[in-house]
Amino acid sequence: MGSERNVSLFTALQYKGQGPMLTYILHRLAGIGLFIFFTTYVMALAGVSFINALYQNWIFQLIVLFCAIFHAVNGMRITILDIWPGLQRYQHKAIRIEWAIFWPIYIIAIVIVIRTAFGV
Amino acid sequence: MTTTTRRTLPISKRGFSFETIMWAFTRLTAIAMYALILAGFIGALIVSAQTGANFGDVLHWALLPNTAANPIANIVWMTILAKLMVICFMLVVSGHGVHGILEILDDYYSGATARRWFRNIVIAYAIVANAIVLYVIFTK
Repeated sequence: MGSERNVSLFTALQYKGQGPMLTYILHRLAGIGLFIFFTTYVMALAGVSFINALYQNWIFQLIVLFCAIFHAVNGMRITILDIWPGLQRYQHKAIRIEWAIFWPIYIIAIVIVIRTAFGV
Repeated sequence: MTTTTRRTLPISKRGFSFETIMWAFTRLTAIAMYALILAGFIGALIVSAQTGANFGDVLHWALLPNTAANPIANIVWMTILAKLMVICFMLVVSGHGVHGILEILDDYYSGATARRWFRNIVIAYAIVANAIVLYVIFTK
């Protein structure tokens, strides 16, 4: 439930939520990124041609891949911890495992995108 | 020895309020997406084996349907299955996404009028987006 928090942006940025806060923020940002991607995808299906040029941009591909992979891996952690609340006590370990899964997948994706984009 | 307190209720004690149902909906749609993505990967592997198309080409066709040649156009059952899977995926994605966006907006806007307007706009967006997707799937 939203409320009137009376917390300034500066104070909010000083909040030291560490790992859980970082994943919470990134999950939301990645979700918004995927929502924008979904919108552009529907536009591409509807025949808006410049979207295809956007999709072929390697920076756009890297951003979309970050959003998709992070949102999927973090979403899996959230779902598992929500379904089995007893595992909440291992939340920090779960976040470390999440990063250990995310980075190898994303690094492979970066290599493939860069190699494809620059032909190396 | 320290004792730990659970911060969340077990599922059996949460009841069936609107929030609980939407919480379950978000999780279930996420799980459905994982299943559909896995099925999509397996389907792409089958298509590349049957048509000789590069796996990358199959994924390229999935991502850029307007520009890439469709490698499954000659496999009737695969075409029907792919359409059904895309329809399911789009419905699940839009349901999950719409609820996620509303969740974020609700966190930043507490006024009843603003929330109602956001809800109407986002739901209208989902209906239009799904209508476009369904139109493209059934006509192209």
